[in-house]
Amino acid sequence: MDKSKRKFINICLGGVAALAATAFAAVTYPVFRYYLIPPTDKNSGGKTSVPLNEIALGDAKFFEFNGVAAVLVRKQDGSLAALSAVCPHLGCIVQWEKDRQDFLCPCHAGYFTADGAVISGPPPRALAKIPFSLANGVVTIG
Amino acid sequence: MMEFLGKIYNWIDVRLGTHEIITEKRTGYLLPRNVNAWYSLGSVLLVIFCLQIITGMLLMLYYVPDIDKAFDSVSFIMTEIPLGRLVRLFHAVGSSMMLLVLLLHMFSILFMGSYKSPRELHWLTGFFLLLLAMGISLTGYLLPWNQLSFWATTVATDCASSIPFIGENLVELLRGGKQVGIHTLGRFYTLHVGLLPALIAVLIGVHLFLIQRTGVSTPPFGLEDTSNQWKGESFVYEEHPGGIPFFPNFFLQK
Ligand code: HEM
Ligand code: FES
Repeated sequence: MDKSKRKFINICLGGVAALAATAFAAVTYPVFRYYLIPPTDKNSGGKTSVPLNEIALGDAKFFEFNGVAAVLVRKQDGSLAALSAVCPHLGCIVQWEKDRQDFLCPCHAGYFTADGAVISGPPPRALAKIPFSLANGVVTIG
Repeated sequence: MMEFLGKIYNWIDVRLGTHEIITEKRTGYLLPRNVNAWYSLGSVLLVIFCLQIITGMLLMLYYVPDIDKAFDSVSFIMTEIPLGRLVRLFHAVGSSMMLLVLLLHMFSILFMGSYKSPRELHWLTGFFLLLLAMGISLTGYLLPWNQLSFWATTVATDCASSIPFIGENLVELLRGGKQVGIHTLGRFYTLHVGLLPALIAVLIGVHLFLIQRTGVSTPPFGLEDTSNQWKGESFVYEEHPGGIPFFPNFFLQK
């Protein structure tokens, strides 16, 4: 086979390869998006309101905030704290221990105060604070 | 009956030359004289994988991948189905055994230096098989949807968040949401019974192909004499006046 014929065929093959790659990308991108984006909560990014009388003194209320677990604590002295309930160690959800007035992480026994500060255990930092405001007996978080 | 089977065999042999392949595999695949028990671990792994496929399909008959039903369906398998407990424990214990044997397999290869040239690709495919086996174990562990599996999956997927920049997104991609939930179960179920078994099966095929191309390695210890005394190509009466060695004669080391 002479050189020019070979060159021509190679160019054609290159074109076919490029076309195939484009087609592959065109097919995989929707598949990737299908996998990537699950239907998230409708209220993600929004605010959450909790009437204060729903929480007794010394109690805590768990809710979902931006798609992750969060908690509102009403301490014995009446003050409030809104915290992320996701443990900063490896991401388990902490539990409120009413009798001890602290948070316990079930995974590796991290303890936190009602304000989210680390008492003991592996967590490297405090539970993240979430801003909130109180008006007319309703707590608005976010 | 035998005659009929023989006819079928001949029919195939005439067309595909199967007799030649079988003879070649039985007599042409050489083993060093000093192979040891560690060389059997690969076959052990193959058996465990087959058992996992069989018990896994049996579990699929009753398992329901839904966060409200998964735990109950597994309890149902354990308590109501005849031998269900056995099947499930075979599958659960089998997965631990698979990883244990995989590690032993890798360590024996490491210590005997069997990974050296020309067998680097064997090690590479084996390494990916280890990763896939860990992946299939992780995804399977979530399926019973009990406390242990839920928190273990939370912790395991959270590890990816320590990767700089893309960590958080990666965790969300793995979980199909910000937290372990129904989409995590769906994803893990699909990976566990679909994609990962298929990938493992293909990679096992590649691994075995490589091994039969190069033959197994010669261990650095064992019998002194490792020279090849195979006479497989000259199995004729003149060379064996005392009789023709029986198969599997290679087990006779002297
Ligand atoms: C190398 C292969 C495999 C490994 C290491 C493996 C591992 C596991 C593990 C660790 C579990 C959780 C066990 C438990 O606590 O119950 C599990 C569950 C399960 N696996 Fe597999 N698996 C494998 C292959 C398969 C295959 C091929 C299928 C289906 C075709 C399958 C179907 C299932 C199902 C339906 C469950 C949930 C039932 C249950 O939790 O008992 N597995 N697997
Ligand atoms: S995940 Fe909370 S202590 Fe480890």
